[in-house]
Amino acid sequence: MHYRNVWSEVPPAVPIPTPSRFGRAIGKYTVMITEACNDCLKCVAVCPEKVFDVQGGKLLPPNDHLCLGIECSNKSSRCVRNCPVSAIRVGLNPSARALGDLRWTPDLLMSTWYMAETGRLPKNDIEYRVGDSGGGFDKLRLVFPKRLPKPDLDKSNIDTSIDLNRREDGRLKITIPIPVYGGGMSFGSISQITMLSRIRGFAAWGSYTCTGEGGYPEALYPFDDHIITQVATGLFGVREETIQRVKIVEFKYAQGAKPGLGGHLLGDKVTEAVARIRETVPGSSLFSPFPFHSVYSVEDHKKHLDWIKAINSRGLVSVKVSTPSDVDMVAVGSYYAGAHIVHLDGSYGGTGAAPDVAKKNIAMPIEYAIPKVHGFLKDEGVRDHITLIVSGGLRTAFDIAKAIALGADGVVTGTSDLVALECIRCHNCESGRGCARGIATTDLELVGLMELAWGTQRIINMLHCWREQLQEILYRFGMSSIRELVGRTDLLTHLDYNADAPDDDIRNPVR
Amino acid sequence: MKHNGSFAEKILAGRIREFGRADFSKNLKAADEGGCGVTGFACNIPVAGKHIFEPSIRMHNRGNGKGGGIAAVGFNPDMLGVSREVLDSHYMLNVALLEPSCLKALKEECVTPFFNVAKEETIDRMPDWRELEGLEVKPPDVWRAFVRVKPEVLKRFIEENGFQGMTDRWAEDEFVSRNSVRLNKMFYASLGDKQAFVMSHGRNVMILKIVGYAENVVRYYKLEDFQAHVWIAHQRYPTRGRVWHPGGAHPFTGLNEALVHNGDFANYHATCDYLKQRGLEPQFMTDTEVSIMLFDLWNRVYGYPLEVILEALAPTGELDFDLLPPEKQALYDVVQQTHIHASPDGPWFFIIARNIPESNTFQLLGITDTSMLRPQVFSLYDGEVQVGLVCSEKQAIDATLRSLAEEDPRFSPVADKYWNARGGSRSDGGAFMFNVTPDGNGGKSLACYDKFGRPVEVERRKPLDITLAVTKPENYEKDIQTLFADALKDKDAVKLFDSFCANAAGWDYNTLRYVVANLGRTARRQKPLLNTIVEAFTLILDRRFSLGEKKRSALVRIVNEELNEIFRALPKITDTLNIGYYSLIDAAARKELRPPIAVERALAIDAKDFEPEGDECDSVLMADAYRLGWRKFVVFDMRGQRFHGCGFGSMTSGVRMDLYGSSGDYEASGIDGMEIHIHGNAQDQIGQIMKSGLLVIHGDVGQCFMYGAKGGTTYILGNTAGRPLINAAGHPRVVINGTSLDFLAESFMAGDPLNGGGFVIVNGLTMNEDGGIIFRQRPYPGSNLFSLASGGALYMRDPNKMIVEEQLNGGALAELSDADWNLIYPYLLENEKYFGIKIDDLLTVDGVKKSPKEVYRKVEAVPLAILRKIPSTDDSVWAANAATS
Repeated sequence: MHYRNVWSEVPPAVPIPTPSRFGRAIGKYTVMITEACNDCLKCVAVCPEKVFDVQGGKLLPPNDHLCLGIECSNKSSRCVRNCPVSAIRVGLNPSARALGDLRWTPDLLMSTWYMAETGRLPKNDIEYRVGDSGGGFDKLRLVFPKRLPKPDLDKSNIDTSIDLNRREDGRLKITIPIPVYGGGMSFGSISQITMLSRIRGFAAWGSYTCTGEGGYPEALYPFDDHIITQVATGLFGVREETIQRVKIVEFKYAQGAKPGLGGHLLGDKVTEAVARIRETVPGSSLFSPFPFHSVYSVEDHKKHLDWIKAINSRGLVSVKVSTPSDVDMVAVGSYYAGAHIVHLDGSYGGTGAAPDVAKKNIAMPIEYAIPKVHGFLKDEGVRDHITLIVSGGLRTAFDIAKAIALGADGVVTGTSDLVALECIRCHNCESGRGCARGIATTDLELVGLMELAWGTQRIINMLHCWREQLQEILYRFGMSSIRELVGRTDLLTHLDYNADAPDDDIRNPVR
Repeated sequence: MKHNGSFAEKILAGRIREFGRADFSKNLKAADEGGCGVTGFACNIPVAGKHIFEPSIRMHNRGNGKGGGIAAVGFNPDMLGVSREVLDSHYMLNVALLEPSCLKALKEECVTPFFNVAKEETIDRMPDWRELEGLEVKPPDVWRAFVRVKPEVLKRFIEENGFQGMTDRWAEDEFVSRNSVRLNKMFYASLGDKQAFVMSHGRNVMILKIVGYAENVVRYYKLEDFQAHVWIAHQRYPTRGRVWHPGGAHPFTGLNEALVHNGDFANYHATCDYLKQRGLEPQFMTDTEVSIMLFDLWNRVYGYPLEVILEALAPTGELDFDLLPPEKQALYDVVQQTHIHASPDGPWFFIIARNIPESNTFQLLGITDTSMLRPQVFSLYDGEVQVGLVCSEKQAIDATLRSLAEEDPRFSPVADKYWNARGGSRSDGGAFMFNVTPDGNGGKSLACYDKFGRPVEVERRKPLDITLAVTKPENYEKDIQTLFADALKDKDAVKLFDSFCANAAGWDYNTLRYVVANLGRTARRQKPLLNTIVEAFTLILDRRFSLGEKKRSALVRIVNEELNEIFRALPKITDTLNIGYYSLIDAAARKELRPPIAVERALAIDAKDFEPEGDECDSVLMADAYRLGWRKFVVFDMRGQRFHGCGFGSMTSGVRMDLYGSSGDYEASGIDGMEIHIHGNAQDQIGQIMKSGLLVIHGDVGQCFMYGAKGGTTYILGNTAGRPLINAAGHPRVVINGTSLDFLAESFMAGDPLNGGGFVIVNGLTMNEDGGIIFRQRPYPGSNLFSLASGGALYMRDPNKMIVEEQLNGGALAELSDADWNLIYPYLLENEKYFGIKIDDLLTVDGVKKSPKEVYRKVEAVPLAILRKIPSTDDSVWAANAATS
């Protein structure tokens, strides 16, 4: 099976191997073959991970990102020991350590790449659950029961779906099979290929992806039923027609990565195609104002929602807000204004285009905001009538599980999708030719670095792996549905208060 | 009242002595709100409480039924069962008893020892609150007492606080105010279970509030026929869900005033700290309470004149400040330096009802924040009676006037003048007050002033007496009927209108009414003439022309009512045997909507009973009707209904809509192709994300006009309020004959106007009652014009070169080229067609006709250096990639 398929169709949600676009993928370990190699190909036979590959009787450069590590290679049955000419060296890859940052550690980047390539968890000792930021989700651990509460559960049938409309207001009932959808990234901030890769990847899983604020390129039309269109403060590319196309409309009041700063797309990225969709001047930097000029209060907000509902008579309305200290009031206000989804965007998110000063200093960390809002909505007696979606630096299936245990119904991701497409977190997203990987760019040449079918499959694979991890987590909790996990803070522990929390690595077998 | 700074210090010191230093460690805010509907009116005759009803109901969508309140100022003493002398001199305590059993203790602790009570009662109310629909919480019982401080208590109070030399009344005011703080501390703030709190304690002022919609205050406390000169009401929208007592509801009181508020503060904590530094501690934890505490501090304690208080609340800035006279600049500079940290920051709009006993004045005051971030409309009617109104929406004003006029024919359902305040400006200061004062003949009169004390007046003309029966004028057949014969024969609406307006000035009201009624009758009886007469009536409403001694508001009323009758006489949608060009549908028949049959083309919608929004509103019905094949729409007797034209989808050319009455927010937002004509003023958020089509507004338009628009052509007779065309892109083309209050075309991105991009023409004129054109001294008064714009252009009629570089933040002034004039000329021609504003008149300066270059100036975007290199990607990359996949 190959991932190539008809571009305008939603591909099946089946993991298919989708190797790196680049010659040698970056791995944690590096496998070197010295000149002594005599192409005896013994290594090919002994390696279970297909690190070594052959073409025309010759050994190809090794796939060292698949290597299980030094310990494995030194086993008597494996490559190093079995090389008759001692031509194989396995060591830590020094370039790997140069990648990423404390939130997206090299391990996290590489494990996500691995998931996106194979649809499976990495088998070696790469960390795939948390980063190394010293806070947030990185300090939270899931506490699995020592014994399986319900060993008879059929793991593959564990329900990971969530409802997006819980209002009983006659509008569409939408259930997504995975508790995650794609966050808003505009055409302009990312290429159209990146945009469609995400949309098709999430669509394969029956989920949605948000257009962000940059219009609705025609190429998106085949996927109308899997798209959330965004109405944000600059109203770029927002037309009645785009609002009517979709089943979910998202109001973006603020972004957790840069609350109070509006949006900005620097002139370099405003190519003719971008300017055409947004009906602006090519090369002119585009700014979305920080407020909605038409919304300065909650009654304006209700009017705003009423307006969108008058345009789209069946669709759901999501309200995306950042996490100020009174975020609970904002959430309940949105409920009373008629929103179906309240989407909290915390402060850890944002691509390299969001200014560091904002990303690191404003808004409440999402792990504080979730229980605050969840509890407030519960006290108000409206929690069961609204869907609470959260985002802001959610990177892994474990982050998703933790967010849900804190009180969310589901999550939104953005950066992880780009990492699946081999983003290396170099933080040059704002510049026109800054993206070495052809993801967050609109440049003619860079855009060509990625193929749509490849990108789509990478996202499908990652989501597949996430879903399996979530099912495994739920299995270990003895839950048959992810909905049982909502608000179960008792299943979490914080390393600051419980330093010897048991390891929650689901690769370890359980009794 | 003689004010002296040292007294202010003593007052505040006394408070700190009594209540202790405030706790600065936290400034709790009980609930975030912002959303609200506010309304108020002042009248030279006392009017009944039921008239605050209609506007309150019309603004339900601005509240959520979790807090409503009303206040009234200037009562009829009989209604309160006291003498005029007691009403004027005594403080009227209105105490909300959440726990009625606490009254005895409350009186023992806070009333009996200090006050002589002239009259006390627990005010009348409905026996069972459950009978009122929409109430979820029992409103508090209200104990009312008319009190004066006992002389010996006051004497001691003066001595203890060192108030010797202060007028007794001033000291007594402070005592009453402080006593209420004490009462609230004892029975409200400090206790876990809240038992009672003071709603108001001023003279001739009353505040009542409940958990529920404001109109239920009037119903529950039986105020329908209770009369006062000034009424204000508030629909609250607290975001917290469960509210069990109305402590946080508006209005809040200072001493002799009540304030309602729409908006919220970004600097709530800073303002709280400012007050606490002065010994004043908020007890109800909302920014509304803080607002009135500021007002009370500056007014009663510091004794500032109103103008200074207004400056402290909404500072004058930027160009407006620079253009103030030097002495004002010096004063305002000091005010700003002293109080800027307490000046409420953020979107807010206050309405204050005041009794000013010293000058025997009842006052209604409306003030907006400097950036005009909340909606506000003022209006004035000056006829046999005078009434001034201020509301969040024009439709609420119209509802009040309609309610007043239904009961008392001296009122008119149409005001003489509607306008918006320009926040923190040199032109009006963003505030207007309506003062009701004795007229010297035993009655009262009402006058309107701006912040600077400059009067706002309407031309004195003969008011219409609607009670007079209409009789046939003697010369009707001979002189008048013949005027229209030709036009009716040719079915020529313009000719009909021309002969109407050429003669209207000479007619008296009776003739005018007879002519209109007669034409209306013709329209109803003779189907072929229906459209001609409707069109002519519409022109009469839209255009300004000489009316002699008569008021335009009266003409608008007469013609509107006649039009409503014509439309209501059309064949109903259910009546399939009687088919014509029009079919009529109303709220009751909305389920009967069907496709047009045979010659049917136009759907006339009686908007009166439709919801303003939601699945059952008329705009949703119209979108459905469009899908069934209807293409022409007439919506009449509108009462704030919203979203007309929304939901039709793309490419709707061929659709036309005519809106009559009080149209609502978000009209024409998102339209793509259709044309909409609004006959009268339009409200806020009109034409948002408009894509294409035509919008003609025969009046002013509110905030955020064409925000994020992509195209479309619009013509506006009057002004656009704050922030028109913000973030507009593509190719919108707009003619504004009036001006904009501020922030016109900020972040405008509409390409190259000479190459298919967008532009705005601003003519900067006003019209008098008779349609005479008056050019403004400055075509654009605001400090921000075309800020951060990267495309498009403005064409400003500015022959005297009044636009200056300081107003532009990124834009540049340029001379008009021939290409520019050729571009805008057709739009000015169209403009002439819609409003009768001739290009020749526009090009005439001080009686001399000038060339376009001498009259119009262009404001264009400055190309930025950073933009010199434009990457040339287009869709071909995508296409190539798709092919390989």
